[in-house]
Amino acid sequence: MKETLVDGGSEASESRVHRPPDAPVPSPENQAALRRKRLVGLTRPWLLLAPALIVLAGLLLWPLIQVGKLSMEDYEVKFGGGVGTFTGLDHYTDLLSSSLLWKTVLPNTLFFAVACVGLTVALGTAVALLLQRLGPVWRLICSISILSAWAMPAVTGTYVWIWLFQPQDGMFSQLAGALGMIDPATTNWFTERIPFYAIATLNVVHHGFPFVAITVFAGLLTIPKELYEAGMLDGANAWQRFWKITVPTIKPVFLVVTILSTIWDFKVFTQIFLMPGGSGSNPDVYNLGVYSYIQAFAKNDYGTGAASAVLLTLLLLAITVVYIRTLFKQGEEDL
Amino acid sequence: MKRRVIAAGIAMTLGLTATACGGDDGGDSASDGSATDGKGKTLTVWIMEGTNPDARPFFKAAGKAFEKKTGAKIKVEYQQWATAQKKFTTAIEGGEDQVPDVAEVGTTWVPQFADAGALVDVTDKVKESGLSDDLVEGLKDAGTLDGKQYGMPWYAGVRSIVYRKDVFEKHKIKAPTNWKELRQAALTLKDKEPDMIPFPVAGGAEMFATAFVWGSGGELAVQKGDKWKSEINSKKSVEGIQYYTDLAKKDKISPAKVNTWTEKEVGDAWNKGQVAMSVGGNWTPKAIVDANPDLEGKLAAIPIPGQDGGMGRSFLGGSYLSTFKTDKQDLAWEFVKMITTGKFATQWAEETNYFPGQNSELEKIAAKKDPLVEPFAKQMIEAGATVPKSKAYAEIQASQVVTGMIQSILNGKASVQEAADKAAKDMDAIFAKDE
Repeated sequence: MKETLVDGGSEASESRVHRPPDAPVPSPENQAALRRKRLVGLTRPWLLLAPALIVLAGLLLWPLIQVGKLSMEDYEVKFGGGVGTFTGLDHYTDLLSSSLLWKTVLPNTLFFAVACVGLTVALGTAVALLLQRLGPVWRLICSISILSAWAMPAVTGTYVWIWLFQPQDGMFSQLAGALGMIDPATTNWFTERIPFYAIATLNVVHHGFPFVAITVFAGLLTIPKELYEAGMLDGANAWQRFWKITVPTIKPVFLVVTILSTIWDFKVFTQIFLMPGGSGSNPDVYNLGVYSYIQAFAKNDYGTGAASAVLLTLLLLAITVVYIRTLFKQGEEDL
Repeated sequence: MKRRVIAAGIAMTLGLTATACGGDDGGDSASDGSATDGKGKTLTVWIMEGTNPDARPFFKAAGKAFEKKTGAKIKVEYQQWATAQKKFTTAIEGGEDQVPDVAEVGTTWVPQFADAGALVDVTDKVKESGLSDDLVEGLKDAGTLDGKQYGMPWYAGVRSIVYRKDVFEKHKIKAPTNWKELRQAALTLKDKEPDMIPFPVAGGAEMFATAFVWGSGGELAVQKGDKWKSEINSKKSVEGIQYYTDLAKKDKISPAKVNTWTEKEVGDAWNKGQVAMSVGGNWTPKAIVDANPDLEGKLAAIPIPGQDGGMGRSFLGGSYLSTFKTDKQDLAWEFVKMITTGKFATQWAEETNYFPGQNSELEKIAAKKDPLVEPFAKQMIEAGATVPKSKAYAEIQASQVVTGMIQSILNGKASVQEAADKAAKDMDAIFAKDE
């Protein structure tokens, strides 16, 4: 429903903008009718959008403004309503000058997100291509199994992965021990940054790829078979057909799943927080979400917590803007 | 078509973000009124889940007795330890309409809630009721700030050493009485029982580590005037931390997997029969036997040995029943009094395996001479310790300063002194922030 609303809105505004300036001057009655029409054209999209905008403003904009305000205050909880003291940009200067942010928190967040997005999209696409080639029975079986990975709550999934990688007793620890790769008695994968995030990446990718697979698969179904037939006649191999036909045709689908994955993977919290050492006792594995949580809800330093949340929002906003710009540019080139 | 996909994508993104920020309601406000006669009134009571295996029958009976006495009903809402502090903070922020009338409050939270102005000072009421002399001193002290007592001590627990009697007897090991013997016993166990963990040095268990800080005569922090200063990097504290972490690092009597364990994982390992000896709470022997009936009669306990003999102090923690500043304070106090004294207090202690907050009740339990209870009672009366009474300390705990220090030593990221210095710095920063 929303898409038609947005489309209607943009068409209406376009018809206004594209009126040629040297059009013949209409008669007075016509002018009045035209003005009314213009007024209707101007207000109708906004009227139609109003309910959605009001809900979004209430749910998103207001909390966002509050967080922004909180990030410039020293806030103290008091019975019946706390007191905030305005401190300007102090929290931001403290935050941006802390070496923990630059050396640990940001790199962890960034590299983890990049790895997760890359792997999620690659794996999801591979699975979508597989689904496309399967017969109806196997397609159903495969869809159900990947959907069950998607349907699993993040908390449950995380505990399963922790369990698999449990030092000494976990399946992977015993396997690696049996292969002579590690000494299970002295190896604890949760204490070092790289193995910790490798496990978290597995968890997040496993939880995230079904969405990509299903979405890309839906996109694949819209590609006309003739394109592939033509490609094959011209002697294109599978690899070339994928890059020259599949990818360009459903590029918007890829861009959308990439944006969404990026946003999700930047703000991963549960999967990190629940891992051993992830809830604050091991500062080496902080990401922005956990760091913000620890500041706000463990140290009761709501200002710094809010400031790092704002930072995360700005980061995501910047990434989204870049994506959307490339997306629209792409759209204009094609027109 | 393309633009439509984009628009749908954006709309979806927004929609998904919106679902991520649901809020949870605080407690609901009950009816108005202010006299002690409680006809037609309902008290909202928050109780922590998990202390009593099944608290529902207990509060059903308590509710009936209370209704008979005052005419008022109670509505019990069960809370999770892991999230309750945040929920309390939110409710306090919301004020009178959102806080419960009565709540179980962990002793380490009292300073924070009292500082926010949410708890009722009941010093005079306790005195009027003639209860003040009977309260267990360490527990009473934990909830008293500047001479004001913020609730009634309800129950308490303490950690000592729990060990496998059968394994110790099999290898003729004597229960340790000082640190040297403790290490020696663990080394023998490592040698004789290679499949068991002789003594888990659990990196995520704060109160295991603090026992050794206090055991060598160290302190977490000391109060000078009205200011707190960390002592975790003092010579004596470092000595205790060094001994405790060396058990894992040098003597290897605790494998690497234990480095990230919390008390929960230690408990799981106990249930599987994999632990020979560990720091454990007075509630653990019963929990272990409940989970693994094979271990019935095979467990024993001793107070934590001091460095050179005697008893080492360990954390005495517990819960208060506190009343919040609502319009039903008098009625709430009646309920608190009923639960924390007499019949209901005894029943609660028996059902939960914790200790009651009154000396007279505690002595009754000690008099039973249960070998799995007596060492804990002794520890509690003679060698209980409390963490700094400042709202900053609750924040220090929540930011895992002590466990972070222990883990960085166990994982070889810092030397004992370096890690202790960093912990001291972190503590002082939080103390300074809250002044």
